[in-house]
Amino acid sequence: MIPSSCSHAPIGAGIGLRLPHLAEIVATPSVVFSTKSSKRSWLEIHPENFLANPHATELLLEARRDFPVSVHTVGVSIGSAGGIDRGHLRRLRSLIDRVDPFLVSGHLAWSTHESEFLNDLLPLPFDEEALHLVAAHIDEVQDALGRPYLIENPSSYVGFAGSTMTEVEFLSELVARTGCRLLCDVSNIYLSAHNMGYDARQYLDQLPAGAIGEFHLGGFTPEEDEAQEIVLVDTHAAAIAQPAWDLYAYAVERIGLRPTLIEWDNDIPELATLVAQAARADEIVSNVFAQRHQLLEVGLAAVG
Amino acid sequence: MPQLAETQREFRRAIVEHDTAAIVSELVGGRDPKTRLAIHQRNYEKSLVNALLTKFPATHWLVGSACLTEAARRFIKIRPPRAPCIAEYGEDFPAFLATTPVAQRVPYMNWLAELEWHVGKVAISIAFPALTLGDLTALDPSKLSQAMLTFQPGVHYLKTPWPVDQLLELYVTEAAPEQFQLAPADICLQIRGARGEYQFRHMTPVEFEFRKSLQRGRTVGDAAEMALDIDAVFDPGQAFTCLMTEGLVTAIA
Repeated sequence: MIPSSCSHAPIGAGIGLRLPHLAEIVATPSVVFSTKSSKRSWLEIHPENFLANPHATELLLEARRDFPVSVHTVGVSIGSAGGIDRGHLRRLRSLIDRVDPFLVSGHLAWSTHESEFLNDLLPLPFDEEALHLVAAHIDEVQDALGRPYLIENPSSYVGFAGSTMTEVEFLSELVARTGCRLLCDVSNIYLSAHNMGYDARQYLDQLPAGAIGEFHLGGFTPEEDEAQEIVLVDTHAAAIAQPAWDLYAYAVERIGLRPTLIEWDNDIPELATLVAQAARADEIVSNVFAQRHQLLEVGLAAVG
Repeated sequence: MPQLAETQREFRRAIVEHDTAAIVSELVGGRDPKTRLAIHQRNYEKSLVNALLTKFPATHWLVGSACLTEAARRFIKIRPPRAPCIAEYGEDFPAFLATTPVAQRVPYMNWLAELEWHVGKVAISIAFPALTLGDLTALDPSKLSQAMLTFQPGVHYLKTPWPVDQLLELYVTEAAPEQFQLAPADICLQIRGARGEYQFRHMTPVEFEFRKSLQRGRTVGDAAEMALDIDAVFDPGQAFTCLMTEGLVTAIA
């Protein structure tokens, strides 16, 4: 039986733990503690970076003594028509059992075709066949890992003409069919809305708020494509852009407080930069709740 | 065949082989979905080429960026990763390099890459507590010849026809001279490492074969016999003692 909720989830913003920062975090955990609040920070890992690296795993388990950790898989390939790699799931389970993360998540995407791993998060058509397959795979993954598995909304550059439902309808139906929860990547919503031409706030409004267990924020890179259009590419190689921060504030207001992760995977900066981005996320949350509190007080005063 | 499987087959063909003919009519996005598809093509190529260049930095230094990048591009097309751990990708890249035109001019290139692969593997290992000679007192001496040994995970053995460890040393110490003469010479290396460190030890061919066969699971008796066939004056007792005193063995069964 998979537990339906995650306990011991931290409240503040965390950072993606990448190998170049691992030794520093183990040696000086205080560099990641927020200086502006008493909230303890947390770390998220890509388990695929650790499965074949015993030394890194050893250091991760040391870091785990100081920080809550969540596990964000990048190689499960939940949408592969050819099925899930059960050997990979066994390796994940083994690591997850040692790390004891407060969340485990992955992407609404596919990466594996037959025996080839294409090292990218590739898009799915949103139709009944894909929905049936992904729902069955989520059940399989949750059973294999013995934990709830959160599904992240994708960053999109193309869609499928044959899709019979929207991305939000697809995600909502997955929640309804499997009981899974969602990882709401706010930057992905902004990026995909720009690239695919829909309204980001409307997308957020339609997501099942109660199912959302985590937020992600990552940097993207604007590129002009051969058709002279500006496409936002999900590079995770830059600071969070202002429109994504704005959308995050809207998401917190609309959905509420959730563990929020700062992702930075390429051109990785110094740890202090990531910590500053996490502090900014915390600040936005504080502002949203301060405003809400203020409105409440004004309302109570009017009633009184 | 279900439609999704066929769609993914064609998508894969577009990403890896750049054959977009079948998939592009299924796609929407932007003015021209084909240009959007190119983002996924670039993601695939860039991420894997970068992974290979990062994994073989000394080979990169030796032959230059253009040369190794081109080899990596060709490699990822014909041998995409087989598993989601990209850290495990590239084991057969050195053998592939041997088949490239550059290998005609730089015949030691693939051997340097091979050595780098082993160094990369041992450096991310961890060392376990080693058995000592004292631990062997519990073992029935008459059973020693039938015993099999478990080595530290961060111990690899490599025989190469070029002394490429010298090249790696030049790269690591950034001490490349104006000219450097590398002459072919068979070398037998023990590459040992753990937790970010590594070291080489040159071995005699017989000592190399003795250790390598033990590591591969042959019994002490079989390994000794094999070594004595190579060199009749080989001393298995002394070689075994060295293994133990160097802390290479973690279990005997």
